[in-house]
Amino acid sequence: MKIFRSYLFLFALAVAMTVSVYLSLATPVAGNFGDVVTFKMNGTANSTPALLRLDRSAFDTLGSLHIIASDRYGTRQLVRLVSQTQISDAGVKPGHSFVALVEYIPAEKMFVLGPIERVDPIMTFDFIPGLGELGRNMLFHVPMSMTAFLAFLVGTIYSIMYLIRKRPSDDRSARAASAAGLLFTLLATITGSIWARFSWGTFWNWDPREVSIFILLLIYVAYFILRSLLEESEEKKARIAAVYNIVAFVSVPFLMFVVPRIKQSLHPGGGGSEAPIINTSSTPVHTDPALLNLHWIMVILFVLLFVWMKDLYTRILTLEERTEN
Amino acid sequence: MPSTATALLRKDFTIEFRTRFGVSAVVMFLLVTVAVIAFSTPGEQLSPSILSAFFWIALFFGGMTGLARSFIAEEERGTAFLLRVYAPSDSIFIGKLLFNLAMMLSLSLVSVLAFLFFFRDFVVKDWLMFLLQLVLGAAGIASVSTILSAIIGRAAQKGALLPVLALPVLMPLVIATTDATRITLEVANSWDGIRENILILLSFDVAITLVSYVLFDVIWKD
Repeated sequence: MKIFRSYLFLFALAVAMTVSVYLSLATPVAGNFGDVVTFKMNGTANSTPALLRLDRSAFDTLGSLHIIASDRYGTRQLVRLVSQTQISDAGVKPGHSFVALVEYIPAEKMFVLGPIERVDPIMTFDFIPGLGELGRNMLFHVPMSMTAFLAFLVGTIYSIMYLIRKRPSDDRSARAASAAGLLFTLLATITGSIWARFSWGTFWNWDPREVSIFILLLIYVAYFILRSLLEESEEKKARIAAVYNIVAFVSVPFLMFVVPRIKQSLHPGGGGSEAPIINTSSTPVHTDPALLNLHWIMVILFVLLFVWMKDLYTRILTLEERTEN
Repeated sequence: MPSTATALLRKDFTIEFRTRFGVSAVVMFLLVTVAVIAFSTPGEQLSPSILSAFFWIALFFGGMTGLARSFIAEEERGTAFLLRVYAPSDSIFIGKLLFNLAMMLSLSLVSVLAFLFFFRDFVVKDWLMFLLQLVLGAAGIASVSTILSAIIGRAAQKGALLPVLALPVLMPLVIATTDATRITLEVANSWDGIRENILILLSFDVAITLVSYVLFDVIWKD
């Protein structure tokens, strides 16, 4: 684990983290009719990135919309709205900007608004009714939850290794991994409850997945309570705590994967449905491939962050033990 | 089954019949719980979901009061050492597990009778499935508390610790079993509704018992 202690690793991690967090926060959300966003065409040779902005002149005397779009050749009427209903629910007013998938009609040199799909030359958050800007939480909440599970898995593996090899360093690693897992679970809970507050209305709904993560927190808090209450030698303490860690981990897959999928859930994938990551609209929304890549990059970065934190905490524990002796 | 396990089982039963400490404490706990529920909901129409929650709260905490003693009593009496000398650890585990299972099943029986007697809304529509999920749930609680009481036999503040350690670990089981109980109270032909819950219970019971069996040796020996 020498590499995780080099400054180069830390520097690279910090830079990558900053860039990814920036991208997560700066990437526009498609189709909420309130933001200035750019769009790009897919596929056709005539595609052109453009910024759509509604101004007063977009409304003619009869009240129907004329979309004025600016592209690299100047501002002109490029886009025509097919029907009013596509943007009526947000109550479009002059001055609003919006994004939409537009179809280019070569004959008329016009774009026609189609179903809202994607924005931004690089990537975009898909528009989900009622979720809007909160979609970017997906790049924090989901990787944090994944890292938390990985951390508990690593902790359990170290506990098993401790029981096999009886090396004190394995016990310290198990403790450090579980502690980091607890931290990531806490972060996932916080980001999740912020998400819940603004998309479901309350910070806490006792959704199956919320029950699961709550219980997960209790399990690993109990692990540290047990450790502090054991009145034995260090070796025996480590052994008993390792056993609890392994026994407790038996219920972790049930909590994280089985129960939330069987019970009716507000989360995607609940109630036995085979829902994709995000599917709340009647028309399926496909996650932007670039966004999905960023998601996996975030997962990797969080995992590396976990590895670094675990390593750091293991070293602290080692030093503590050395000073005690 | 090893003969030492049966000997241990017989010993535990003998002590239990002689003192009746465990059973009476648990039954008292259960009756107090039922009385509190009855007093706090006078004349209320209790829905199946509320009744199944009450039922498993009573059963879980009742079980915790009774089963926590299985290894703590040995440590307190100082007989744990003799037990270590006398019998191999796997037969001790089997003996204690079976004793806890018997305790838990009799506790389940008592609580079913108590709920049937005290709550007129507690009407089981599908007895077969109700008993199936009850036995599986009780077995899971017995299995988890066997290994955990062996763990806390070594810790300070033994009495309070078992529920703290056991509840989170047992939570998948409690979620599945409260749901299954609710469904068996609601519909007569409940297999379709509780199939997934039964599968969770079964797999959880098997997994936790196997893991406990493998790991018991590590805790037990010095």
